[in-house]
This record gives sequence, C-alpha cells and structure tokens, in this order.
Amino acid sequence: MTHTAFSRRNFIKITGLAAAAAFSLRLSANSQASSPQPGTTRRWAMVIDQRKCLGCGYCVQACRAHNDISPEITWNPVLPAGEVNGQPVFLPRPCMQCEHAPCVEVCPVGASFYRPDGIVAMNYDLCIGCRYCEAACPYAARSFNWKEFTGPNPAVPEWGQPEVARRPRGVPEKCSFCSQRIDRGLSLGLTPGVDDEATPACVVACPTGARAFGDLNDPQSQVSALLRDNPSYRLREDLGTSPRVYYLAPDKEKK
Amino acid sequence: MKTLAAFAHSSWGRWLLTLGVFLGLGLTAALMVLWRGLSLTNLTDLVPWGLWITIDLTSIALAGGAFSLCAGVYLLGLKRYAPVARTATFIGLAGYTMALLALFLDIGRPDRFWHALVYWNRHSLLWEVTLCVCLYLTVLLLETAPIVAEWDWLKRRWPVLAQRLAAVHHLAPILAVIGLCLSMLHQSSLGAVYGVLKARPFWFRPDLAALFLLSAVAGGMSLTVLASMLAARLTPRAQVQDELLERVSSFIGWMLALYLYLRFWDALSMTYTYAPGRSEGLSLLTGGTLSFNFWVGEMLLGTLVPLILLLNPKTRKIPLWRMMALALVVGGVAAYRWDTNLSGLLILVSYQPGAPQTLYTMYRPSLVEWMAGLGIAAYGLLLFSLGVRYLKVVSHPQAEASAA
Repeated sequence: MTHTAFSRRNFIKITGLAAAAAFSLRLSANSQASSPQPGTTRRWAMVIDQRKCLGCGYCVQACRAHNDISPEITWNPVLPAGEVNGQPVFLPRPCMQCEHAPCVEVCPVGASFYRPDGIVAMNYDLCIGCRYCEAACPYAARSFNWKEFTGPNPAVPEWGQPEVARRPRGVPEKCSFCSQRIDRGLSLGLTPGVDDEATPACVVACPTGARAFGDLNDPQSQVSALLRDNPSYRLREDLGTSPRVYYLAPDKEKK
Repeated sequence: MKTLAAFAHSSWGRWLLTLGVFLGLGLTAALMVLWRGLSLTNLTDLVPWGLWITIDLTSIALAGGAFSLCAGVYLLGLKRYAPVARTATFIGLAGYTMALLALFLDIGRPDRFWHALVYWNRHSLLWEVTLCVCLYLTVLLLETAPIVAEWDWLKRRWPVLAQRLAAVHHLAPILAVIGLCLSMLHQSSLGAVYGVLKARPFWFRPDLAALFLLSAVAGGMSLTVLASMLAARLTPRAQVQDELLERVSSFIGWMLALYLYLRFWDALSMTYTYAPGRSEGLSLLTGGTLSFNFWVGEMLLGTLVPLILLLNPKTRKIPLWRMMALALVVGGVAAYRWDTNLSGLLILVSYQPGAPQTLYTMYRPSLVEWMAGLGIAAYGLLLFSLGVRYLKVVSHPQAEASAA
C-alpha cells in the first residue's frame, strides 16, 4: 500500500468530506421542501358539501371545457361513495392542492411547484414525463397524456370555452384550481369565490351550490364560514399531506 | 461475396446476426414509441412504471461490479483483481448506457431528457439519481479510456490519442473513490426512490436502499465473473485466471448471505403490520400473482441455491456449477427489481372514506415493450462482445501464472 500516494487514510478523509457535503446539501434541501412560502396573504381552499352533491357531473363537463381536457382524462371525477339513509352519496375529487404535496417533493425537474398562494401548479414546459408524481400522489389526481389530444373538445362550447393551452403528449396533467381564472379575476379586481369569473369552473357550474371556493385567510369568506359552522374532513389526513379540499360529510341524522 | 458467406457461417458472424435481429426489433419498437408515444405500452396512470423501469434498474444493478471491484482494487489494495475490475468497468459502461436507453424511451418527453441536469429539484430522489448516474457515467467513460487505448486499430491509426487515453489510467485511484461515492449514493437511492413514497404503503420502508445496494454488489460481480468465464470458453481472445474468479465468487456467496439476512427481517417486519396495503403487498409476493417470481425466482433460485453453490468450495471449484450459480444470481436480481416495482404498484390504497381499503391493478408488458427490452439487452451483449474481441476486456495475465 505504501507505493501509492493514495493511502487508505486519504480515502477515508475524502469519503468523509464527500458524505458531509452530500448530507448538508440534503439538509438544506429538506428545509426548502417543507412549507411553501409561509408569508403569503391568500390561502385558497375548496369546500365540497356532500349533502348537496347530486352526482350530476356538471362540474366534470365545465372542467373539461374550461381547461380543454381530453375526453380520455378527468381532472375532477365525481365518484360514487356508497349510500347514507338510502340516498346515494358522491365524492367529487379535484386535485387536493396539498400543503405538503408528494408530487412537488418528488418531481426531479421542479415541473410541479407551489405557487405563492399555495396552489400546486404544473410547468408543462419543464416536465420530462417520468411519472414519479403519478406514483407518489395518494389521490390519483394526475393523468398522463398517453396520446396527443387532437380534434375538437366535445365539451366545447356547450360547457364553456378553453382558457388554457392544451397539454402535449407525454406529460401528466392535473387540476389547477383554475388558477387562470383566479389570476385573471384578481387582476380585474374581482374576488375569487364570490365573482363567477374569478372562481374555478366546477364551483360556478354546480347547480346545487355543493362547492364553495375562497380564501382561508379571510375569515369573511364563504369557505371560512362553512368550515367554522360545520364539521369537515379531508381525504387521507393520516398521510400528513394537508389537503386544501375540505368535505362536509352527508348527514346521518336528518332526512 | 465469398468472404461475406464465410463470415455468416463463422460463429462470430452468426452471433452478430442473431444480435442484429434483436437490435432491429428493438430499433423498430423504439421508433414506433417515439412516433406514436407511450400509448403503445400497457402502462396506465395507476401502473405508470413497468418493464422498462425494471430493465433500467436491473442494468444499473448488474453494472454494480464496476464500482465495487474498482474500490477493492484501488482502495483496499487488492491489486491481483485488477483484470477482473477491468472487465467489470466495461460491463458497467454497457449497463449504464443500457439504462439510459431504457429511460430515454420510458420518459414521456425524450426530447427533454437533459432537463434534470439543468432544472434542479434538490429534494427529489430521482433528481439525485439522475445526477449521480450522469456523473458516474463520466467516471466510467474515463475508466474505460485506457481499455479503448488497447484497440490495435486505434494504436496504429492514432498512436498519440491512444497514448493519451492510456495515460488516464493514472487517475484510477481517484476515479475509484469518486465512483464508489457516486455508486453508493445512487445504487441505494434507486431503492429509496420507491421507499419514500407514502402513497404506496408496501414500498414505504427504509431498507429498500440497503437491499438495492447489496443486491447490486452481488449481482454486478456475478455478471462480471459469469461473462468472463463464458467469454473464455467461447473465444481464444479471452483468457481468465480461474483462481481469481473463484475468490470473487466466494465473496459473492457472502454478499448473498448478508442480503438474505436483511431481506428476511425486511419481510418479517411486513408480517407484523395490519396497515392497509402492506400485508396485502406481502401476500402478493408470498401467495399472489408475484409468488412464483418471489419464491422460485428470487428466494430459491436467485439467492438460496447460488448461496450454497458459491459458499461450498466443492461446487464453487467446478466451473459449470459456479457459472450456473452466477447466472442464477443475475436472474434473481432482475426478479427482485421486477417484484419490487410491481408489488407497490399492483396494490392501491383507496382515498375514499368508507370504500374498500385496497384495490388491485393489473400490468403485463405489451409487445412493443418486450421488443424494445430485447433490443436493449442485445445492445448490451453486442457492446460486451465487441469489447472482448477488439479491446481484450477479458484478459487476465497468463504468463505470470505459468512462470510462478
């Protein structure tokens, strides 16, 4: 071993330094991974009242039209969820817009990211299509574009006009809380959740008012009031993802 | 015309023709996928990773002989094994390029494959893996440079270039350190890519990282020794010192024992949980669709039988038994990667309140996936065969052995 300048001791030194460097990189990364931008003024949330949802699927169609989604993909399905007191119950499932979103954590290129207002957004121009986010999402909220969506959108114009560009083949897509409507509305001085033009299309389309949208940081907002006055739950709270979609459970006593 | 016919009838020619057929199949499949997209696969939103990921993981694992043997030679000073490490390095280069080919097809946007190098998300394990793999591929290229320098044609045609490439050999110890660090990182974190996903309860456990690393060392060394022995029997251009290969094989036996030990506790910890998705994942392996793969492919043939054959000096000394054992280890590593990927994906935990807790999904690779997979394997075999023929990647010093 003596004939080489490269001794075991040197090796241990170098390895140790490299390990320490890698570890500190990890630590700083972890501190970034938690809470997206705490000091923001708005915290968008959706409240879905299962007592009111009839399962008509208007929200699905409106979503399809406004976000120009392929008929093979659903961002926002309305799933049957059993019966309560002989009445069918439904579970509409948009993207949960998790406060600690597994998809954002795992994306190798940062194509999934937190907007300052907490919305979990996609930069479709960065995405490489590895589908790690699909494997990581506990809510199956992501749909991959296995094919290119060409041709007319059957939901247009009956259910609305497209407001965003179509996603290319090879990237996964998901619900965005209609961030394009929120951004445009705010720039026009409107209030998301109050003014239809600034509110997610599914909320506007719901004929029974089962969906509410608004700012959790505003105690006067409809979502704040609903959550104050009603018991609510979120999906898979055990995972610690802190979804921003709240559900009001069907009432067992009444009806 | 005559020479062509003679070539086609030589064993080398027939071998190249066979590989060429599979390469053609693979190339056809690849072009189809690039043209028509991933809808040609049987992957779904619920099972987004399949055969190609398994090929990717397996080729990286089987390339693991490179870093472990180089570390042994240049860091532990086991200089005798340098010719084995040389073979392992070349196999490593073949394995990592195979993995990149599989990944290139697998990602939805192959045109953006370079994004992970430019756009960093430092808390993504897949980002870390991508960066490590690319850096390690650079290390492998440098480590292969002195091997390429022995190409007779290059020495005749570009003597100065050949000398420059040969000089890279002086960097070997440094490259071994960097290679060891990078490989330990990404061989383990390929397991952790799965292990960190809480949404897939059967994956969500810390020991996948250790198991991936150990099985990569055992599998990588196995492929190196097996390929060396096969080459020495098929062509006079490859010479081996059997004693070296036998010693490495005994080490592989001990690695298998360590792997089996950890794997036992890994599986046992799964039986003492009733969390939805976890016990179902285990029963998928022990009694469900993956059970044959698990019991026969991974445990019996992949680990136990080779462990006995390689640790028992009598069977280890007999080349046929040893080669069989090594081939079984290689198959076992592939089976382990396949099972790991699918056991997490075939079971879903429902997010619906009040709905059945676990759901089962299905996956069977499509024709195009198999064609591309076979093509990638043929590419690896071709690269190694060319290496044996023109770069003498399997050439252990013979004169010393006979003189001593």
